[in-house]
Amino acid sequence: MNDATPTVFIVDDDPAVRDAVSLLLRTSGLKVATFASAAAFLGSSAAQQAGCLVLDVRMPGMSGLDLQKQLRAQGCHMPILFMTGHGDVPMAIRAMKGGAFDFIEKPFQGETLLERVREALALDARQRRRQASRAEAQARLALLSAREREVLERAASGQYNKVIAAELGISLSTVEIHRKRVMEKLEAESLSDLIRTLALAKDGE
Amino acid sequence: MADSGFAPLADAAHDPPPFPPTPDGKYTEAQSGLWGLRPALWVALYIAASLIWLLWGGPLVTAWIGSVLAPPFAHLLTHALFIAASGVFFYWLLYFDARTLQRAARFQDIRLVEFIEQITDAAFIKDRQGRYRVLNSTGANVIGHPLAECLGRDDTELFPAAVARQLVDDDRQVMASGTMHSREQTVALAHGEFLFRTTKWPWRDAAGHIIGIIGISRDSTVLKRTEAQWQRANDELEERVQARTAELTAANQALQDQIAARIQVECALRDSEERFRQLTEHIREVFWVYGITEERLLYVSPAYEEIWGRSAQNLLERPLEWIEAVHPDDRARIHAAHVAKLESGRLDEEYRIVQPDGAVRWIRDRGFPIRDAAGYAYRIAGLAEDITARKLAEDQLRRQQVELAKTSRLSLAVEMASNLAHDINQPLAAIVAYAQACLGLLRQDRIDPRELTGVLEEVAKQGLRAGDIIRHLRDLVHKHPTARTALDLNALIHAVVHYAELELHWGGVTLQLELATPLPVVLANNIQTQLVVLYLMRNAIEAMYETTAEPRSLIVRTALEDPDTVLITLSDSGPGLSPEAAERLFQPFFSTKPGGMGLGLPASRSIIESQGGQLWATPNPDQGMSFHFTLPVYHGYQAPSPHE
Repeated sequence: MNDATPTVFIVDDDPAVRDAVSLLLRTSGLKVATFASAAAFLGSSAAQQAGCLVLDVRMPGMSGLDLQKQLRAQGCHMPILFMTGHGDVPMAIRAMKGGAFDFIEKPFQGETLLERVREALALDARQRRRQASRAEAQARLALLSAREREVLERAASGQYNKVIAAELGISLSTVEIHRKRVMEKLEAESLSDLIRTLALAKDGE
Repeated sequence: MADSGFAPLADAAHDPPPFPPTPDGKYTEAQSGLWGLRPALWVALYIAASLIWLLWGGPLVTAWIGSVLAPPFAHLLTHALFIAASGVFFYWLLYFDARTLQRAARFQDIRLVEFIEQITDAAFIKDRQGRYRVLNSTGANVIGHPLAECLGRDDTELFPAAVARQLVDDDRQVMASGTMHSREQTVALAHGEFLFRTTKWPWRDAAGHIIGIIGISRDSTVLKRTEAQWQRANDELEERVQARTAELTAANQALQDQIAARIQVECALRDSEERFRQLTEHIREVFWVYGITEERLLYVSPAYEEIWGRSAQNLLERPLEWIEAVHPDDRARIHAAHVAKLESGRLDEEYRIVQPDGAVRWIRDRGFPIRDAAGYAYRIAGLAEDITARKLAEDQLRRQQVELAKTSRLSLAVEMASNLAHDINQPLAAIVAYAQACLGLLRQDRIDPRELTGVLEEVAKQGLRAGDIIRHLRDLVHKHPTARTALDLNALIHAVVHYAELELHWGGVTLQLELATPLPVVLANNIQTQLVVLYLMRNAIEAMYETTAEPRSLIVRTALEDPDTVLITLSDSGPGLSPEAAERLFQPFFSTKPGGMGLGLPASRSIIESQGGQLWATPNPDQGMSFHFTLPVYHGYQAPSPHE
């Protein structure tokens, strides 16, 4: 749930390309920020913001592929759209393996770029929502006591209360009390809600 | 009188001295008893005389005396006469008997003296006071005084004090203990040092009382000396024997050592033979021995059967079988090598053999001469190794290397093209993006003429930039200045061959240089000419790589074509070119090679032409192609050609 308008970050050492692409995207109503080098991008707070990255592969200093690697290492999952003056297959493979969103060759159709950029922004929004709900689920799970967590895990894996009571060596009524508390803490109304929350929280683990 | 049956000589000092004895035979019978009569007879005689006296003598005497004296006195006197007569008789009898005994003793003494005189040892008898009573002349000699002087004297008077004390001590000991005593002693006397072995025992009287010492002393000095000499001789002998024995032992030891060493050597030899046998029977290589004088194979190890797939027995029996096994293509060469091997004793050849089932194997066969003491090679020992796997690997490697060389050149070209494309695509991408942005604005009716002007100016600028890049590229191609110098083409070819050696090796190409000498120097650019030669060589090597025909040979020839022109020719044994291909050979971007850019030959031609020469190609009459180029001969100083 991000209120900020997503931004398209353009990183290219060629000022003409940077300017032209920026103009193209801006005229299509997108928010754009440009950087002349990978280092400049890393030096800003751009990586933490919502948006996507339009990245030139070949740049002096840190290349586009190096920047991609660095961002992934920092846990930034911003979608990356590579641009290349002359793409070769190994480079494209490396980029895609590194989790690139797409790989487009210069010169490109404005429409193609716009389309891919929009898709990338949508992906980023989804990722961020997912991230937010996971964080929320994890926060709620953190409220549970160790015993409640045990009861939750067993209940989520389909065990009956009786079985849980026997396995944990507690009475049936105690299990029921734990279960009720778990439902309250996780703000769940059904077993399927519980399972969903648990799955969400475990998603990133 | 003495308290002994024997009269001590000293008591009869008035008697003739016992020595020298008087061997007087008259003593012999006369001295045995009182006239030889027994005492009982004497008693009988006495009784008879007494009876006679009583019966006749007494009355007669009484009567005779009664005539003179009164009868009582006459009786008394008669009895007195009888008693006196009896007394005289008994005295006489006793005296006589004593004399007889004495004579007997003397006789014994003389016998004793005689006896001991015969003893070669010193013999003596001493009384309790240690005075010599009996002594033989040997003893007197030992003592060093005349015998007469020695008798009756004791040791202290006769010997030096130290010796005397020892002798006296010994005497006392014997007398005190009453036992025989024997000792060996060295006695230093005035006339030399003697070693005596003396045995002493006590002299007892009839009652068993010890009355003196009897002793015998043997002078062992001489004996000792002799003994010592004998001992020495003996020792010497022993020594010699020992020395000899030692010599013999040493010789024996040496012999044994030699035997041991020999056994060891034999063992070692046996071991070595055994090892050799095991080795030759188990090594993968074929070990063989060829007898030069015998002119046949003497030994071949069992591995032969495995590698050749033929019987080793057959090989030994049919000497020509081995050459039959050699691959037909290699046979002539190997036969020549075999002949050469008989001369030099050496062999190092790689060849193929055909097994009976038709399988081909690669063999590396090496031989070394075995020489006798005179240095004459009479055998050749060799190892034949199956190198099929290695050969295959080498082939594989060679293919890979050539492939790699191609790929790397290709990737270099791709890299260059990629750079160029990137450089041109940058402005193009900008132009397209600008144009499409403008289009977008136009479609949205958001036209700001000033903004549009700026964008279009940018578009024009990027178009010019692309043009600049292409112009720059053209400049790069044409702008290289070519400095021309006097070049020794033969030396240049040698230098280039050095660069191409690896490729020649990989390609399995035999290079043959046929360089004319002397060759006039030419006027050309060193680097560019080298590049052309290198390019043409690589071209030839690669062309031959495509062919399977052997041998792959490259001939590089230099020649003076006319006084102003040197001709260089590179002939390969590759597949050659179709007439159609030969025609298009020098057109740019034409290549018969996969991955070839088709730029090398046109570039080479333009380089050679820029230096005032020509480059062309001709097919060889048998196989392959020849590439020729000419360069102008350098005739001393010329106005240097203009160069940028």
